[in-house]
Amino acid sequence: MGLAVDVVKRSGKRKKEAFNPDKLQRSIHRACLSVRTPEGEAESAAKRVTHLVTLWVATKPAVTSHDIRRVVAFHLDRYHPDAAYYYLHQRRIL
Amino acid sequence: MARKHKFDFDLIVIGSGAGGSAAATLAAHEGKRVAIVEADTFGGASPNWGDVPIQSLLQAAHLYDQARAGSRFGLRTSTVGYNYPSLLNWKDLAVKRTGAGGNRAYYEDQGITTLHGTAHFLSPHEINVNRHHYSAASFLVATGAEWKIPQIQGIESHPPLTPRDLLSQPRLPKSLYIIGGGTTGVELAQLMATLGVKVTIAEIASRLLPDYESEAGELLANLLHKQKGVQILTQTRTVQIEKENIAYRVTYNRGGHERTVRVDQVLVCAGRKPNVDLGLENAGVDYTEKGIEVNHYLQTTAKHIYAAGDVLGDITGHTHTALLQSRVAAHNILSKRAHLSPDYSATPHVIFTYPAIATVGLNEDDCLRRDLNIKKSITPLTVLARSNVSDFKNGFVKLITNKKGVLLGATIMAPEAGESIHELALAIKYGMTADQIATTPHAFLTWAEAIRVAASKIS
Repeated sequence: MGLAVDVVKRSGKRKKEAFNPDKLQRSIHRACLSVRTPEGEAESAAKRVTHLVTLWVATKPAVTSHDIRRVVAFHLDRYHPDAAYYYLHQRRIL
Repeated sequence: MARKHKFDFDLIVIGSGAGGSAAATLAAHEGKRVAIVEADTFGGASPNWGDVPIQSLLQAAHLYDQARAGSRFGLRTSTVGYNYPSLLNWKDLAVKRTGAGGNRAYYEDQGITTLHGTAHFLSPHEINVNRHHYSAASFLVATGAEWKIPQIQGIESHPPLTPRDLLSQPRLPKSLYIIGGGTTGVELAQLMATLGVKVTIAEIASRLLPDYESEAGELLANLLHKQKGVQILTQTRTVQIEKENIAYRVTYNRGGHERTVRVDQVLVCAGRKPNVDLGLENAGVDYTEKGIEVNHYLQTTAKHIYAAGDVLGDITGHTHTALLQSRVAAHNILSKRAHLSPDYSATPHVIFTYPAIATVGLNEDDCLRRDLNIKKSITPLTVLARSNVSDFKNGFVKLITNKKGVLLGATIMAPEAGESIHELALAIKYGMTADQIATTPHAFLTWAEAIRVAASKIS
């Protein structure tokens, strides 16, 4: 279920949407798997980072998708630096 | 045809403390469409839970202390006491009377739109507050700073008090461990010890007030220990905080030896960190964890966004410095030409202990670091007639000049030092010499006479 916090999408071109922790957790999980992290580790890192980001988002009235990417990368760096780099730069990498 | 505005406001000020309020008011007086955003209480930290509440309680505690010690003047003092809830009522009254605490209506009367909520930049010209988007041609970021929680084992599960928490509590602790012997740490140590709390103060540096003249820190430590029974732990690192029933057991390391002390509460005053988590990346504003980076004109890396106050990171926590920056930022935002930069050379710093400590300009360490040739003189208060009639001996005036006698810096440790320092601030600002100060008459039986004596020693 989403928090009452809007996520403003890239360049404001797409409609804003409510922050969804499940969606965030799935994206972190996928980023971890993309850099060949074992499934269990990816799941645990995604869960922990999602929790920290959700706490951060709850203090904000609205955030941009770039904000989320930046804060996820900051927290994920502690658990998996490669995944954090991939998460932050995936648009440029892909 | 009415002119169509490109933005909702000409200026949005984020933060209603000293760094923001002056700029918002000045811009509104110039006819600009201004909004001010505040996430907490309007007025900011200084009037609500900083300088004003601490100073009002220190004033009451000093009066109590003086009354108790009045027997040496022939006064009967056996029934002097205090009621802490009444002291807190006095503090609340002082906050209310400043007019700055919770002053939302003040801004609205001046045509400034007030927004209560957390601001977050979405783009260089747009912020979000309470899920509403607001745009502006210029911004002033004055979000201030908050107390930094040091990395100590056990601190996350047992969060210590901040000065704001301590002054909001309905009753006093029996014992208090203060982490940090800077300005606020020593003010609160003296306040609490005067009211009968057993205080331990731990400072990582080799003396209290490490940013001030060594004589001031050492004399204050001596007074706090001898007169108030404060345990002073310099060169001490706090390593662990554990809960023990309703109290705390604090472990500290001093000189390679670990010791513990059991206290009712732990207070943290070990520096402040700027509030920079407001989506500055989305606005192209560069910052570090030490604060927002600005040029001489207080302009950030985004040219239409300025910053003022403690968020700049060079944290002195002084309201008058933030006010100066706010006025300068307002001038630079409003004026298209002739940008100003703030002049900090004669900004006084005051610690409201008893005796108070006031400084202006450079201290001796600053001069050593800059390899300056200096002359200095220290005059103890005991040479004054005022010291005799007040029966007060602990303090001094220290002046530092260059070789030509031009005043570079001064420290006064004396009662009402905060009042006397402005004479020396003026002297520094206008390049006066010690000789000029020494030949200016100073009234007999005032503490300021020590300034003349100190100046005459140099001249």
